[in-house]
Amino acid sequence: MTRADRILILLAVCAMPFLYVHLWFGDEPARFAQIRNGSNSLVIETLQPDRLLHVAGPLGESIIEVRNGRIRFASSPCTTQVCVRSGWLTKAGEFAACLPNRVSLALVGQNPRFDTINF
Amino acid sequence: MIKLFTRLSCLLIILGVSGCEQQKDPVYHDQFFAFGTLIDISLYGVEQPLAETVCRQIEEDFMDMHASWHAWQPGPLSSLNSHLSALEAGTIEPSILPLLMEAHRLSRLSAGLFNPVMGNLIALWGFHDNALSIGTLPDNAAINEWLAQAPSSNDINIDGTLLSSRNPSVAYDLGGFTKGYAIDHAIERLRAAGIYNAIVNAGGDLRAIGQHGDRPWRIGIRNPRENGILASIEVTGDNSVFTSGDYERFFEVDGKRYHHIIDPRTGFPAMSTTSVTVIHSNAATADAAATALFVAGPDQWWSTAHDMGIRYVMLIDTQGTIHMNPSMQSRIRFEPGINAEISLSAPLQ
Repeated sequence: MTRADRILILLAVCAMPFLYVHLWFGDEPARFAQIRNGSNSLVIETLQPDRLLHVAGPLGESIIEVRNGRIRFASSPCTTQVCVRSGWLTKAGEFAACLPNRVSLALVGQNPRFDTINF
Repeated sequence: MIKLFTRLSCLLIILGVSGCEQQKDPVYHDQFFAFGTLIDISLYGVEQPLAETVCRQIEEDFMDMHASWHAWQPGPLSSLNSHLSALEAGTIEPSILPLLMEAHRLSRLSAGLFNPVMGNLIALWGFHDNALSIGTLPDNAAINEWLAQAPSSNDINIDGTLLSSRNPSVAYDLGGFTKGYAIDHAIERLRAAGIYNAIVNAGGDLRAIGQHGDRPWRIGIRNPRENGILASIEVTGDNSVFTSGDYERFFEVDGKRYHHIIDPRTGFPAMSTTSVTVIHSNAATADAAATALFVAGPDQWWSTAHDMGIRYVMLIDTQGTIHMNPSMQSRIRFEPGINAEISLSAPLQ
């Protein structure tokens, strides 16, 4: 085994804990959003550039805002406004839904921390 | 130097291949709306055609169940409620009978804290309105009248498919129970199709079977008072994780929150609990127990959990204290920065 072999093995061993934690438990930012409406149609949207999206539901239009790699319900025709109060979604695995208007947002990434969310 | 370059290239290729492998998601995801909420299904290692077929079957099942089990829209259950309020016997479809019998069994185990026949009280509070926004407090006299009649599972007599009641205030509302029962049905549907690694999540309440490949399923528990995650658990095998919270459906009057989990002993929302999380293998049991323990509150949750056969409980009271039993504490991992006071109970057997 040469000195170069030993350096490479050392590098690989040192990198393993970081890579393991990063790849399997990473709190990574989302890459894109899945948006569904009541007819169950699915739209995939990237999180760039900043813009407003208009999604039709049975009560009217939900307005979805994309800004700086985040996404949220900016306004909704529902009376409860739970979806708007959910605020910005930033990380893969986060989601919000407007049940009365049947519109949902879910952020998707390569390696979300959680397989599902209980609430 | 060439040897070093070659070896370094090999290392980078290996790491690169590992990275590529990460991009192949072995989980099939499906979502649809049913039971007034979002249903989210995750299936591990299932070919897409089978996954799509099974998910559409589950969606149809959920639509049928929702229509049959709805307590105040026209259907078998609302028709039964009309008969019972007139003190007449009413028949129920044989397919719905096991649902009602299980609801009554769990209600008795909870000493009535989970009450499947308090539909009239829930209606008084306005929680039958899907578009609830500006709530108004119900008339105290109406609540007192309901409390005087105190409808419970013990008022119902079941003879085959014929149901009768001696209490005109009895009205089925299975809202604290049907999601769990439907999730159990969906898991049966998945297993019948040969799918053994899956999560069915209905509006945040879920049952997970099997695992995610060679690791457990990872479940985040949302913080009941702030955006973000409070804690997480890992599950393998067969676990239902249900949370009842005061943030799900509520209205505010003069700055005070009135939520949808009503205490049948007082006629008012149970005000000493913020959320209760329960783990149990059966989703219907977990669903009913989460409601009952929420109503039981920080002083009575342990005895109610004991009576209902629940072994994992976390209750957050309105002061922010986290109450749980040792088995739950050993399973749950709080997020960094969560520094709530923890009150540990005696073990639940």
